[in-house]
Amino acid sequence: MKSWKILTAAALAAAFAANSWAQQTTLRIFTGGQQRPDVMRKIADEYQKRNPAVKVDVEVGGATSEAQQQYLSTVLSSKDSVLDLVLIDVIRPAQWAAQGWAEPLDAYLGADKAKVLPTYLKAYADANQVGGKLIALPYFADSQFMYYRKDLLEKYKRPVPRTWDEMMETAKIVMEGEKNPQLQGFSTAGAPIEGTVCTYLVPLWGMGSDLTKDGKLNLDTPQARQPFQLYGRMKQAGVLPRNIAEIPTDRIRIDMQAGNLLFAMSWGYVWNRLENDADSKVKGKIGVATLPHDQGGKSATCIGGWQVAVSAYSKNKPEAVKFARYLSSPEVSKMQAILASHLPVFPSVYKDPEVLKANPWFAEALPVVEGAKSRPVSAQYPMVSDIIRSNMNAYLAGTKTTDVALNDMKSRLKTVYR
Amino acid sequence: MALELFGVPVKKRAMIWIAGAIVVVNGFFPAVWILLTSLKTETELLRVPITYLPDAATLENYATAFTAQPILRFMWNSFVVATLSTALCVFVGALAAYALTRLRLPHRNLIMSVLLAVAMFPLITLMVPLFKLMREAGLLNTYLALILPYAVLSLPVCTLVMAAFFQDIPPDLEAAAMVDGCSRVGALFKVVIPLSAPGVFTAAILAFVNAWDEFLLALTMMNRVNMRTLSVGITLYQGEFAFPWPLISAALIVAIVPICILIAIFQERVVGGLTAGGVKG
Amino acid sequence: MNTTATNPSANKDLSERALGALLLAPAALLLAVIVVYPIATLFWTSLTSVDPNNPQAGAAFVGFDNYLRAFDDDRFWHSTWNTILYIVVTVPGALIVGLGLALLANQPFRVKWPVRLGLLLPWALPLVFAGLIFRWFFEYNTGVVNNWLVAAGIEPMQWLSTPTLAHWAISLTIIWKASSFMALMLLAGLQTIPKSLYEAAEVDGASKWQQFREITLPMLRPAIFVALIFRTITAVQTFDIPYAMTGGGPGDSTETLAMYIHKTTLDFLDFGYGSALAALMFVISMVATAGYLRYTRRSTSRSGED
Repeated sequence: MKSWKILTAAALAAAFAANSWAQQTTLRIFTGGQQRPDVMRKIADEYQKRNPAVKVDVEVGGATSEAQQQYLSTVLSSKDSVLDLVLIDVIRPAQWAAQGWAEPLDAYLGADKAKVLPTYLKAYADANQVGGKLIALPYFADSQFMYYRKDLLEKYKRPVPRTWDEMMETAKIVMEGEKNPQLQGFSTAGAPIEGTVCTYLVPLWGMGSDLTKDGKLNLDTPQARQPFQLYGRMKQAGVLPRNIAEIPTDRIRIDMQAGNLLFAMSWGYVWNRLENDADSKVKGKIGVATLPHDQGGKSATCIGGWQVAVSAYSKNKPEAVKFARYLSSPEVSKMQAILASHLPVFPSVYKDPEVLKANPWFAEALPVVEGAKSRPVSAQYPMVSDIIRSNMNAYLAGTKTTDVALNDMKSRLKTVYR
Repeated sequence: MALELFGVPVKKRAMIWIAGAIVVVNGFFPAVWILLTSLKTETELLRVPITYLPDAATLENYATAFTAQPILRFMWNSFVVATLSTALCVFVGALAAYALTRLRLPHRNLIMSVLLAVAMFPLITLMVPLFKLMREAGLLNTYLALILPYAVLSLPVCTLVMAAFFQDIPPDLEAAAMVDGCSRVGALFKVVIPLSAPGVFTAAILAFVNAWDEFLLALTMMNRVNMRTLSVGITLYQGEFAFPWPLISAALIVAIVPICILIAIFQERVVGGLTAGGVKG
Repeated sequence: MNTTATNPSANKDLSERALGALLLAPAALLLAVIVVYPIATLFWTSLTSVDPNNPQAGAAFVGFDNYLRAFDDDRFWHSTWNTILYIVVTVPGALIVGLGLALLANQPFRVKWPVRLGLLLPWALPLVFAGLIFRWFFEYNTGVVNNWLVAAGIEPMQWLSTPTLAHWAISLTIIWKASSFMALMLLAGLQTIPKSLYEAAEVDGASKWQQFREITLPMLRPAIFVALIFRTITAVQTFDIPYAMTGGGPGDSTETLAMYIHKTTLDFLDFGYGSALAALMFVISMVATAGYLRYTRRSTSRSGED
């Protein structure tokens, strides 16, 4: 009897050992189609090589940030465990924290948290902490830059503009001189899309003001009117495209690439397309600078980029956190910079010679990214975004005046910031 | 007196031609536009004033469409899902339509209204419970996860379309068939359906195209790449900001051509035959 | 079965009922399994609310608060008004264009498939892409429409950022797309009209117009009504085309109720309010289609009598 028991126990132990030996954790990570899933695959392959017990599945979903979130909302609202890690837009950590979709990482990082966080660009370390909890880790950075035509500024002997007024003046001079009816002075997102939120916020921040102050809505200031008035002046001066209210993000890149745009405010992907696309008419003619600001103000810009969050419903959290930390390491940041021209999340990586060789403009990009700010942090960010973009868009289309647009904005934002 | 061509007066022939031309131009122009776009480079699209015919036609977009994503696999998935859901929907719908139009049933209108009500809810508000349902049933990433909802979503329109056609069939024909020894269900398949072939066929097209084009459910229920359908697959060519029209046009052409061929063949062979047979009989 | 056909007793009614139940059972089963639970969930959710700043606290039962909230919500009324505009313009619009196309397509062509495909293509083009293609047509710089205007010496127009023009551009696109569905239905209807009816009318000396009014329209009526019911239900849910063409802009001047529900549910994650709006949309659909249903009731009871 006794020997039988021992035998069974031994068999069980052997089976258990064999099992754990063969046991493999499969981690499933969700990424959008535009965050270079092919590069993510390469990074995951490298990780698998070093961690044979882990297999990584890369799930590719919807193209735009909103399409992805709509899918994720369905899956996560049903508390589904299929995803272990998710790449999320930098505007989302607050919402993810509030919904409880992201596993807070503090306990997993422990003492490392205080060591690791200061190595990131400050804006990213801040954006991923909500109410003192670490919600996600930065994967790659992005921000809005001012792109300008070096060749045209040289031709007309104009400096890179520091203020909006300088920019308008230069634009008028160049547009008159070039006599190209297609040439536009300045363009930014104006359609009712996420980018248009920054169209409003950048000039506002440029005057040292912000949407909120100490958690309270702060739009009763004279500065709150300025962004509207700025674009109103630009429109009147003929510097903005006439159909600015229809301009989505990529239209700006297209116009710049066709040589029809002097100044543009847009994201990091533009530079690579302008320099590397076979059909680009402006190769070698593009400069990157910080965005203009108002007289007496300070240049500001929006941060973008993607973060890696661990799903609160994952069944492999410790393994997932380990992989997330790898994805958010200087090593991977460098890999992404070289393979995908993704802006690094560590200031140190910008200075890496190999990175600079692949992306010479990163030297100019670093000061811009270092000065970039987060869009309003709110559990209800999608609502905040919707309110700002639709009013900005209506103003640019000429269907609302400054007063109406600002009042509508205030009265609707009051329901969020009570 | 008048000139004739193929046994029809030339003037009438010309009118017929014009009629056909209007329908063809109205239906084809966006498709032709994408076809032309799919042969262009992105540079050409930037040009102002715009060009219509491609400057230097290229098939590169098609090459990319086929290599960048497993588009043939997507197409197979779409085909399986659309065909099976259409078959299920038309079969179930035909039985229901028959019962609603040819039998004396109480509460017929109530039944119709309930059926219609299903079509009155926006799908997005049903997504979370539907997803939960499919997950509980273990059907995520299986064809059934799409076949069942697609059949249900097209059921109201299919049933009502077929009902509208069944309604017009003279009861005598059916009675005659039954006297000949057919059961009622036999009469449905041997008399009623063949006689209303154009209606049944229209119902099938509606269901098939609905299933072929559906996006939201397909995105949510199938998260494995090899289970994705075409409508979701096409969006995978898109970028966050960039919308590569030539490439997406090529993918769209690849997506549309099969249904068109399928329906053209089906129309000429199957429905043509059924209608002819039905009218003769 | 033979006996039931020949014996008009109470027995017959009973077995007809049994047969009817049997034939309806598969449909009922499918509906019960797939949509009853989601729709019940929707109604229940519409009676609950989640604190948007503390969603993890869970949903609280709030009775009809979400419905009351809608009545005070300008955006709900505004988007409903836009939806009604699209219904009023695109339902008759698609019917007229669709009927025209169906009549044109019903000519005796020797080769049928090009015309067939001409009818079918707008329907086969996925909605979102139809919207995107037409947005391109109406684009300011690279759109075909403005290109023609410029060629004709007219100033280009901002089709997508001027509210009235945007409404028309969207309506036109919807009519183009939906008339295909109408035409398919009506063509099928036309094909089942026996040729002999027209031949007889011809002999009687009826004009083409009289034939159309006396034969075609009455014979098409069932098909027209089914097509109208579904066009109306789909028009109430208008989403993809304005979403792709204007994103609801400028401001929210072209936003429809379905777009607002979409935003509320999937972007704002306010499932309670979104569900209440969906239930209200259901009511709108019911009201909009009630007239048709009354008509079908009359016509079916008439056909039941003979």
